[in-house]
Parts: sequence; structure tokens; C-alpha cells
Amino acid sequence: MARKASPARLVIALSVAGVLAVFLLYTSIAGGGTPSVAPSGLAGRAGDVQLAGLVVGPVRGDAHDGGLRFRLKDISGDSRMSVVVLYTGSVPDLFKVGRHVVVDGELKKGTFVAQPGSMITKCPSKYAPKQSGDSA
Amino acid sequence: MTLALVLAATLAVACVVAVALPFIREPEPASDELDELDDEERVRLGLLEERDRALAALKELEFEHRTGTVSDEDYRAQLGPLRRDVASALQALARDSGEGRPADERN
Amino acid sequence: MPELGRAALLVTLGLSMYALVAGAAAAHLGRRRLARSAQNALVASFVTTAVAAAVLLAALLRNDFSFTYVARTTSEALPTAYTISAFWGGQEGSLLLWLLVLTGFGAAAVSLNRGWARDLIVWVVPVFAAVSTFFAFLVVVVASPFATQAAPPDGAGMTPSLQNPYMLAHPPLLYLGYVGLTVPFAFAIGALLSGRLDERWLIATRRWTLFAWAALGIGQLLGSHWAYVEVGWGGYYAWDPVENAALMPWLAATAFLHSVMIQEKRGMLRVWNVLLVILAFSLALFGTFLTRSGVVNSIHSFTQSAIGPWFLAFIALTVAVSLGLVFSRLPQLRSPTKLESPISREAAFLYNNLLLLALCLAILWGVVYPMVSEALRGEAVVLGRSYYDFFLRAFGLPLLLLMGIGPLIAWRRASLTSLATTFRWPTGVALVTGAVLLVLGAGSSIPGLVAYTFSAFVLGTIVMEFARGTRARKALGAASWPSAFGSLISRNRRRYGGYVVHAAIVLLALGVAGSSAFDSVAEAKLARGESMRIGDYTLVYRSLNERATANATEIRATLDVRRGDRELGTLQAGKNAYTIEQQVSNEVGIRSDRLTGEDLFVIAEQIDPDGSIYFRVFVKPLVNLIWLAGLVFLIGSVITLWPDRREQRRLVARASEVGIPATR
Repeated sequence: MARKASPARLVIALSVAGVLAVFLLYTSIAGGGTPSVAPSGLAGRAGDVQLAGLVVGPVRGDAHDGGLRFRLKDISGDSRMSVVVLYTGSVPDLFKVGRHVVVDGELKKGTFVAQPGSMITKCPSKYAPKQSGDSA
Repeated sequence: MTLALVLAATLAVACVVAVALPFIREPEPASDELDELDDEERVRLGLLEERDRALAALKELEFEHRTGTVSDEDYRAQLGPLRRDVASALQALARDSGEGRPADERN
Repeated sequence: MPELGRAALLVTLGLSMYALVAGAAAAHLGRRRLARSAQNALVASFVTTAVAAAVLLAALLRNDFSFTYVARTTSEALPTAYTISAFWGGQEGSLLLWLLVLTGFGAAAVSLNRGWARDLIVWVVPVFAAVSTFFAFLVVVVASPFATQAAPPDGAGMTPSLQNPYMLAHPPLLYLGYVGLTVPFAFAIGALLSGRLDERWLIATRRWTLFAWAALGIGQLLGSHWAYVEVGWGGYYAWDPVENAALMPWLAATAFLHSVMIQEKRGMLRVWNVLLVILAFSLALFGTFLTRSGVVNSIHSFTQSAIGPWFLAFIALTVAVSLGLVFSRLPQLRSPTKLESPISREAAFLYNNLLLLALCLAILWGVVYPMVSEALRGEAVVLGRSYYDFFLRAFGLPLLLLMGIGPLIAWRRASLTSLATTFRWPTGVALVTGAVLLVLGAGSSIPGLVAYTFSAFVLGTIVMEFARGTRARKALGAASWPSAFGSLISRNRRRYGGYVVHAAIVLLALGVAGSSAFDSVAEAKLARGESMRIGDYTLVYRSLNERATANATEIRATLDVRRGDRELGTLQAGKNAYTIEQQVSNEVGIRSDRLTGEDLFVIAEQIDPDGSIYFRVFVKPLVNLIWLAGLVFLIGSVITLWPDRREQRRLVARASEVGIPATR
């Protein structure tokens, strides 16, 4: 029994449409992602952001009891501005002064209140030449 | 330092020799033509692949019938068309050998 | 001896460029001796790269800190095994390893196929040479491992987190995978360039692709295991860009492995296959670009380096040239066979490909989105875990189901009655399993329940296939059931090896579903003697000990574990404080249940001076199935890779029928 047109095109078209529909479904439910900012760009920002910066001491407090307090400043560039961060939850092992960390949260009344457990640190690796901020 | 340079020089020379080897071995070859398939041979290869594909499909049908994936009814229905595929592939090959020179008369 | 290393690499670069130019000329003009000369150059480039690699390795082993690279990545105190792993621990050394594997594979692929596919090989040589020229250029000009300095008294040492056995296996395996994908790519492009669009490029590269794909898969599993037990945050995959960098080419390669079967059996999807292999190779290059260039925020990534723009340019060039070539050969690539029905094995494979590709592209979008949004809106926007999890479920669950349907559905056109008969038993098993699980409480996570049900379906089909196949062989006259089983597999390696791999993927799906959809977590601050509960486990914090080793102070808390009223022994969790590197690492305590595959995962997050500890504890059901899946995957891959003498003979016979000499 000869077929006039192969269903392949129809199948592929429907599948692609299906995939796009899934994408649209996702974006309509969850919306976009979180903007990634540096401490110097944080001023006046509302809403959830991802803050990336270098840890500046002193580091005070307890992340599991009241919150860990430290400051973050820009990784690169000349800005001397730093932001106070209040962090609760798991603290990665590599966390220390001078480390490059990324943390999600919201700026509330001048303090960046982090989402619990959202901190990640960058592995200091020998792929990069020694930087002035590195202590190892 | 000199040892390193000597080794490096030896390495470089060896590589040059390796690269020049085909020319050193055959300074005056009978033919420098690349042994390629001509159009006839390529057509034949295509036909052979068709034949092997049809045979493999038949073999797979047998296997899947034996293991029960394909029911008796479906087996009977598909056997005919697949056998016809094999037959037409063999016919095409026979026609090709008849038209061109037979494979074993070359080279 | 750094001069020897530098010189050797320079010769490699020269040989690669020669192989590229001479090879292209020989292929275009049809000159035999020139073609052979280009091939020799490719093989010789492996020898020279090996010499350079030996120089670097020797420098590492004798702690020669006059080599800048050695000083940066090792120290006197570093154990020998890790000193060896420092070879690929840094930018320059890892590029040299890439080049070594690349030239090695090139030499092997060309030499092994020279006899029966000479007219194809003649075009493969310049393509391979083009890739190795790029990498040789990088190690000679941009990132040389042989830079020297005044030797310092000691090296900078290796990050403690890299000092473990995983570092010896994970990167090399990944490289075997990434670089291995160059072989099918080179053969595909060679086939396009030469116009030799017959099956030979597929046959020649099938095992190479399988090997690369298997290496990439196992390398990733090892990386996940490393993250789970050593980094110890409680997970095994974080959708980190560098993790995704290996997953994307693997998904594309998986799609390719499947669609290749369709081309073999039905002659369809020729254009698709070529596009897929170009995609897989490009993603492998893109993956290594992501890892090295520091372009995205990642827990792995290494800072901005000069290497990024070069990679990007090479990827762009590769994609542009490859696509242009495909477009120009489009008429010759069209196949006469058409898809007959949307319900058929061909269609199932097509859906498999579309889903794998959709998942791959969704991940790719997630990875590049920060860069795209920064370019368009001036601000980098990051997509988080929930984005990836959503698409993993949306595309992964249907894929799981397809794994059970594909192998059994009829070719060309499947009638509804045949579907009902074929899938009656596995569907029954799945529905019963689903109902039982629902009663047991698995309804708490719908995606998890669906994953379990689909897994039951697929396992049902696999068991059914093995059982029926063995029975059929026994009926044909096999001596005993075990020998029937054995001969079934050895005579149908690709099919049954493939089933074993599918079984591994099902185990993986079960492990992932169990440990992510049905896990539980509890946190508590405990003083000595205090206890905490999670699920039906009770943990009592007994004591805290300190121990000094050669390079670290190890602090361990000991806990008693009890489930219900059964004592399950003790568990230790704590931290290591490395003296020289001034770093602290997490040492988690894991108790694996042999019977259920469940893990009790304890992290001593914070150890206070008074000895009280803040604990974070997970119960992860079925997580050990993931590691078991790795083993099963390995077995399945070995079965499919195993050489098949019957197949070899058939190919040789076919070649001689056309007049191609089988050996020379």
C-alpha cells in the first residue's frame, strides 16, 4: 500500500512543537533566572540576586546560630565598596577570607540576607596564575 | 643542555625521514595514483550494502519471531516484502556484474 | 631537559601542519606517495608528543622545580601517585595530555583502517591533522608546559581536595571520551569531503564512538562519586557548568549511537547522523572551553585565561566549515527510504533522538544563558537547579519509557494489536509495581513514582527479552540453560550488550529518583551524649578525637547508629585541617545499607571549641544503585565493544567483492 507523503515531517514538526511547548510551560511557571551581580552593583537592587565577590574579614558569628557575618567586595576592578552579608546554613569548607564565593539572597535594609545553604566557593586551582588575593 | 639538543635534533631528523620515506622507497614508481574506487566500484559497493542490509533485516525478523517479539501473523505478513527486498538486491547485483567487468578480472 | 620538550612539541606542530597540507593535497590530487607521507607524519606526531610527555613526566617525578609547571602543581612532600596526576592537574599539562591522546588515537585510527578504507583514510588524515594542529599550536605558543624559572626550594603543592585516587582516573577517562569523539568526527568530515558517503565511515568508527561514549560516561560517574564522598555536600551532581560540559557531548553521542543503527538497518537519517557527530564533537570542544576559560561562575572553573578566545575561534571555524560541507553534499546524503509510520521502531529511535537532543539543548541553554543575557541586557542572569530538574524530568522520563518500547516495537509499521501483545506483560508488571509503591507512600513525589513505574516497565522488557532469547536458543539445541544464555549473548553482542547498558540506565534512574525525590534531611546541634533522629535511624554523638598525620590534623566525631532497636555500629564524621595549604576539608561519614542501597550520610558541619557539633544528616534511598549502574554500564559496554570475528569476516568478504584489497 503506497503512502503519498511520509509522516516523518509531521512527526518531527509535532515533536519540535512539543518541545517548544515544554519550554514555554517552564518559563511561564518559573519565570527567568536570578541576576548575577557584583557588590558594587548591588546598591538599591530589590529582589533575589546572586552575589559574587571576595570575602573580606572580619568574619563573625555562627552560621547555625544567629548567622555568619562577613563582607564581600568586587573580585576585579577598583571598587573599594563592600557589602555586609548575613549567612545561615551550610558553610563550604573552602570558605575563608580572600576566597571567591557566590551566594543567593536579597538586599534588605543595607544587609544582604542570604538564602540558607546557598553559598558556593570556587576551587582555588592551579589552572590560574597566582593572584594577589590568593593566600594559597 | 647539549644532550637535550642532540636528542631533539635526532628526533627531528627521524621525523623528516619518516615523512620522506614513501619518496625514498619509490623514487620512480610505476604509478603514483591513489588506489581509489571508481564510479563503477562505488555503485557496486552501494549495491552490496543494500544486499547486506536486506539480508540482515530478514535475519532479524527470523530472530525476533523465534524469541516471540514478532507474532506468527506479523511474521507471515512481513516475510514476503523482506524476501522481495533481498531478491531485488541480488538481481541488481547480478545486473551490475553482467554489465561491467566481473570483479575478479581486475588488478 | 625543557628544551627537548619544547623542541618535540615544535616538531609535533610542524608534522601536524605538514599532514594537514600534504594530506589535503594528496587527497585532492590523488597522489599515493604523498598520502602515505602525510599518514606517516600523523603517526610520527604521536611519537614526538610522547617524547614531550615523557619529558614532563620525568620532570614531575624528579621534582624538578626549574619547570614552572612542576613548581606550580607539586611539592616535595606530595606522594608519587598524585605527582603523576599533577600532569593533568593544570592548564598546560592537561592540554599536553589532550594532544597525546589525540595524536595517539589519530595514529591508531588511520593505521587500523588503512587496509580496507584507503580512499576514505586519505581524507581523514588532513581533518585529524587540522585538529591536532590547533592543539599543538596551543601548547607551543599559548600555554607551554615547558616554561622555566629559577628553581625555588619547594613547589606550591597540590590542593588537598585533588589529592585522592579519583584524580588519577576521572580526568584521563574524560579526556579519552572527549578526544575519542574526534575519530567519528574526522571520519564523517572525511566521508563528506571525499564524497564517499557509503557505510564505511560508520563501520570504521562504531567501536571508537562506543569507547569514547563509555569512557565519558564512566568518567562522569566517577566524578559524581568523588563529589558525593569527598566533597561531601550531600549530593552528587550540582548542574555546575563544568559538569554539564561533559554531559552534553555524552547526550549527543548517545543520540548518535542510536541513530547510527537506523542508518545501518534502513539507510535512513544520513544527514541527521552527520549533523549529530558534528554536534557531539563541537560540544566536546565547547566543554573543554568552558572548563578552561573561566567564562562562567563554577565551582571548578579556573580564572580568565588567554586560552578562551582561541578555543572559541576554533569551535566557530569547525562548526562553520562542517555545516557548509554538509550543505554542499546534501543531494548525495538524501536517502530513498522514508519513515512509514509514526508508530514503529524507526520512529521510536527518532523520538529517542529528539528527546536526547532536547535535553542536551536545554542544558546548553542553561549554561550559556548568563553569557547571552549579559551580552543582550548587560546583566548576567543565572538559571538554577530547578530549571535543570524540570527539563530532566520533562525529557528524561519519556526517554526512560522509550528504552522499554524501542527494542520491541515492530519495524516499519506497528499495529495496535501487535503492541498490545508485545507489551502486555511488562505493562502489567509496571502497573502492579506502581500500585504497590503508591500504597507504600511513594505518592509523595509524582515524578519519583513515575520514574519507578517506568523503570519497572523497562526492566520487565529486558528480563522478558533475555528469557525469551535464552529459551529460543535452548530450543535450537543448546546443551544447557547457561550455555544457551552464553551463546545468546555472544552471537548477538550488540543487542544484548545494549540491553545490559539499558539496565544500567534504569538502575541509574532508580538511584537518582530514590535519592532526590524520596530523601530526607535533618539538622541538629549535639553535645557529647546527645542524640538525633532521622527517619527510623537514631544517632548518638559519643566522642571527638584528634589525630595528627604528615600533612594534616584529622578531627573525627564518633556516632552510634541505631535503627529501631537494632544496633548498626558506629559512624565517623569530621574535618581535616591541612597545615601547609591552610585549608579545611569535610570528611563525611556514610553508612550504606547493603540490602536496600540506602545511605545514611552524616556531615559534621561545624565543630565548636566546647566539642558540640552541628550535624547535618541525610537519608538517601537507593543512592548506591547509581554506583552499581556504573559497573553494569561497564559490563554492557565491554560486551558491545567485544570484537566479533563473524562480522569482521563478512566485512572483509564484502570489501574483496568490490576489489578493495583487504590488507596490504
